[in-house]
Amino acid sequence: MINIKLNVNGKDYSLEIEEDKRLIDVLREDLRFTGVKEGCSEGECGACSVIMDGRIVNSCLVMAVQANGSSIVTVEGLVKDGELDPVQRAFIEKGATQCGYCTPGFIMAARAFLNRAKDPTREEIREAISGNLCRCTGYNKIVDAIEEAYRYEKGI
Amino acid sequence: MIVKQAKSVEDALELLSHYDNCKIIAGGTDIIIQMNEKKVQPKVLIDISKVEELKKIEEDGDFIKIGSAVTYTDIIESSIFEGNLSGFKKACRLVGSPQIRNRGTIGGNIVNASPAADSVPPLIALGAAAILESKNNVREVKVEDYFSHSETFGIREYEILTAIRFRKPKGVLTFAKLGLRKALAISRISIAALVELDKDNKVSFVRIASGSIGRYPMREHELEEFLQGKVFDDAVIDEAVKVLQGVMDVRLANRSSLPYKRRAVEAVLKEALGEVRK
Repeated sequence: MINIKLNVNGKDYSLEIEEDKRLIDVLREDLRFTGVKEGCSEGECGACSVIMDGRIVNSCLVMAVQANGSSIVTVEGLVKDGELDPVQRAFIEKGATQCGYCTPGFIMAARAFLNRAKDPTREEIREAISGNLCRCTGYNKIVDAIEEAYRYEKGI
Repeated sequence: MIVKQAKSVEDALELLSHYDNCKIIAGGTDIIIQMNEKKVQPKVLIDISKVEELKKIEEDGDFIKIGSAVTYTDIIESSIFEGNLSGFKKACRLVGSPQIRNRGTIGGNIVNASPAADSVPPLIALGAAAILESKNNVREVKVEDYFSHSETFGIREYEILTAIRFRKPKGVLTFAKLGLRKALAISRISIAALVELDKDNKVSFVRIASGSIGRYPMREHELEEFLQGKVFDDAVIDEAVKVLQGVMDVRLANRSSLPYKRRAVEAVLKEALGEVRK
């Protein structure tokens, strides 16, 4: 067992964990942020994507100990004062979700991208979600939603 | 398994010499998968991902030094790899996905020694050296030799790859690759070229490295010899494709992938050499 400190969705945690746990295991099992989904376990599908110190990462490919001292944002951390994040709102309004399993990962990848993006093109949006797989319905509505989220944020 | 977070290179080397059956983890994008599949089962995992001295990109006179825990994203966002070095950025941009580029490191791409390691051909074309440190020793190995003579020059279990170092080139570094799908594609064929042209548009210096055209990333000496001194025009580039295809006919003889690769290489080499003139 080892002690680590994490800030998750703005709250500080001091945890005693088993050392062979990955970040996804601690987020889901110890802290119950089950919006973080496990898909492929090898960095292909992006369902486990979270923002770690401002960057999108696959939480299945980070050992929990490696995240010691880091700030993590999961999909649960996006709602502010009861208001959905613009990305969440746009995913709902554009119908960019079907079974929903990949959705938290897509939303986090989109959030990380929009935090730095300036007038993004569809091509850039596709590149930003290239580490996320959807096996239901395809990507056009997801790209539409991310474009829409950018417009919400810019008020255009 | 226990996991130790190293605070410095010295600390990591101390841990490495203290425990048996250790593995180093940096980005984790390869080793965590290998551990899941039980292909590697270390007793001790030493994390170097937060060692500041391994995360720097430094210009030192005529040299550029990249710490081994520098990520692809760090390279892409660095102002050092502009202009004649932008081919290195291109190679890093084509790695994996945003998630992988944010974690995967330059050092990991070398020590995991994948035949399809995207950042390796540009480093070979640059004539880069890998700096390997152990508790009592520091050695420098050319990245090229690291792959071609890995039994002799490859990393030892008590060593850490701490940095990559190369002399700033006068020529232009370019990169092109063929992948099956764009994101996360394991590269099928890649070419990096470092070319310097004289005032008469003749090739005065050339170093070319390939990925996935053999068992490991390697120098393409025959191609270099062919190009050296030639006027760098379309006709010569067309001829260069034939030279490389001739090399592949021998190297990949009897491989089922040869007919595909010898056709595909044409576009990849033309793109890599074509970008020298841009």
